[in-house]
Amino acid sequence: MNASTVIFYVLGSLVLIFGAMTVFSQKIFRAAVYLLFSLISVAGLYLLWDMDFIAALQIIIYVGGIVVLIIFSIFLTQRSGEKLPPPIKKRLVWSGILTISGLGLTSWIVYNYLFSASTLPGVEPTVHNIGEQMLSYSKYGYVFPFEVINILLLAALVGSIVIAMKKKEIKPTDETTHITK
Amino acid sequence: MKSLFNYIKEVVYAFVSLAKGLLLTLRYFVTIRKVNITEEYPNNRTTTISVKERFYGEVVLPHDENNEHKCTACTLCQIACPNNSIQIISKQIETEDGKKKRVLDKWVYHLDSCTFCYQCIDACPQDAIEMKNSFELSVYDRTKLIYQLNRPGSKLKEKPTVKEQQS
Amino acid sequence: MISMIEFTDITAWIHSLLLSVMTPTWTYIVELALSGVTALVVLLVCVIIMVYMERKVAGFMQLRWGPNRVGPYGIFQVIADVIKLLLKESFSPNRADKVMFNIAPALALCVSLMALAPISWAPGLTMWDTNIGILFITAISSMGVIGILMAGWSSNNKYSLIGAMRSGAQIVSYELSAGLSIVTAVALAGTLSTNGIIQSQADGWWILKGQIPAIIAFLIYVIASTAECNRAPFDLAEAESELTAGYHTEYAGMQFGIFYLNEYINMAIVSIIASTLFLGGWMPFHLPFDYPVVHVFNHIMDFIPTWMWFFGKMFLIIFFMMWFRWTFPRLRIDQLLKLEWKYLLPISIVNLLFAAVIIVLHWHL
Ligand code: SF4
Ligand code: SF4
Repeated sequence: MNASTVIFYVLGSLVLIFGAMTVFSQKIFRAAVYLLFSLISVAGLYLLWDMDFIAALQIIIYVGGIVVLIIFSIFLTQRSGEKLPPPIKKRLVWSGILTISGLGLTSWIVYNYLFSASTLPGVEPTVHNIGEQMLSYSKYGYVFPFEVINILLLAALVGSIVIAMKKKEIKPTDETTHITK
Repeated sequence: MKSLFNYIKEVVYAFVSLAKGLLLTLRYFVTIRKVNITEEYPNNRTTTISVKERFYGEVVLPHDENNEHKCTACTLCQIACPNNSIQIISKQIETEDGKKKRVLDKWVYHLDSCTFCYQCIDACPQDAIEMKNSFELSVYDRTKLIYQLNRPGSKLKEKPTVKEQQS
Repeated sequence: MISMIEFTDITAWIHSLLLSVMTPTWTYIVELALSGVTALVVLLVCVIIMVYMERKVAGFMQLRWGPNRVGPYGIFQVIADVIKLLLKESFSPNRADKVMFNIAPALALCVSLMALAPISWAPGLTMWDTNIGILFITAISSMGVIGILMAGWSSNNKYSLIGAMRSGAQIVSYELSAGLSIVTAVALAGTLSTNGIIQSQADGWWILKGQIPAIIAFLIYVIASTAECNRAPFDLAEAESELTAGYHTEYAGMQFGIFYLNEYINMAIVSIIASTLFLGGWMPFHLPFDYPVVHVFNHIMDFIPTWMWFFGKMFLIIFFMMWFRWTFPRLRIDQLLKLEWKYLLPISIVNLLFAAVIIVLHWHL
């Protein structure tokens, strides 16, 4: 057993432990922070496998983006500091059964699928390669998802502008103008 | 188009006005020795320090070269003081011609409760007390702030009689 | 020709020395520890200088003398302050979430120290010479807000919470324009690795070669990174007139000290990145023209050692940030968000397009 195996098991158990703590924690903010640690451990696994680019993206998107958003929405809700009520017994049983069957299904599929080692050479994550891959329309090119995401983000942007835009026909009363000035 | 022009104008104007502020502080930064207004207090206490005459530091009872003061122990200042910071203790003495007379024994000044309001000085009919501009008054113990203002052995300055005044 | 001692020689010497006494694995571990400790010590020395510098700069700009009591010119003031912080009790409030409250400062510090890994200190002196150096730093700095949010929430105090939320909103939004100006520099250099970016400036810094877009990107980066460090005029997270001390209201002693240290480490890292991207990191000042005079000039510049260039540029940008702090009044929260979303972000998007045009047409020098 060499060092990288040890590190793999340490990181893997961290992912699982923090994942479990996320689910079982009764304080919602703590759950978000445990989720954060779990995601960081996943980034650590990527680093262990020499996938620096994916690790950096994992941190930017999940840690810097999603978890921060989650924490913000927790802050904006009422009474984020109090303990959640204990779960209802009946639901507990049902969710337990569903999770275990889901786990069984996925592990059955993973066990039966014949994973074949990729013969493609690894791509160095230089700026040039990333740009080429992103816009290439040949095999293993990413132009289609790239454009789809572009359109999605554009729609989100336009939507948020429409929501945030001031309605002109409603004239503000004197008091409100005073306040906004 | 016009709004775009205005937008650019706004940005440029903002940069110009920010640069003005930055240049001012930069000028202060490089010319600190010329424009600095800080008193380097304990270092200059014997040299360049200047406290204005009108500063109210503490009440004093001036004595002249013969160790004489002008206080007649009339206690008007004690009555005038809103904080009871003054205690006039007087004593009876007999003059040479056998008259009994009240003179000042102790002029006790409680600096710890004085608010430097100047009322005692206004009240004094003899102009016996003054306000001094001293400011290094702190001590380690509050009880040390009670002073006796008349010096030991001092006595009342005789008022010049009318004749003497005329001559 | 004087033969200068390069940092690479020193590291190679240490490497061979360690190899001669222990196995390669142990050498690796010891070198890891050594490089970490060295970087930390260098950074702490920088922080001590910065704290002293901040006070002096503040004093001079406000026509005061700054610290001048402890030691000659007050140089031991920082040490006195550290001793004071160490002797104070680290106190956690009764109703606070104790675990989170105590983790938060350590987490914030760890996150900012992680950004040190891909920084190129001198030729061949990088702890982790990776292809994605700048991207990694961006990723790490987006994590910085977590420590602040944790500190603010776990203090169980409305001032802390409001401060943390403000700081979160501020960091998340200013990350965009900082990121876009980083992208401008990366597009000019054509690489994400810190070493590669510095090498691409061997014939002149990007701020000179990159025409107007590089200058605009540099300005926007300095503004946005000042905001990301939560420094005045963007210090809404700890606006003392409204929020006592924002997210670190409840912290005392060394836990507060860590937040304070963190602010300065962030400042150092941000200015190292700005100097790497736009001012050539440790690269001496070279002019990108092909005349004999210029060659002589470039050669003379090479005589100044690289560490001087590195720290000189770093402290220049730090001085800019202090200059801003002691000149401008604090912004209001709506002004802060307006500045980002209505001015910096559109300008940096247009600027990026502009830079792309210049790169495609090969107009940059
Ligand atoms: S200055 Fe005012 S407070 Fe002080 S002794 Fe005179 S009357 Fe009292
Ligand atoms: S100081 Fe003036 S007012 Fe006070 S007792 Fe003496 S003479 Fe009277």
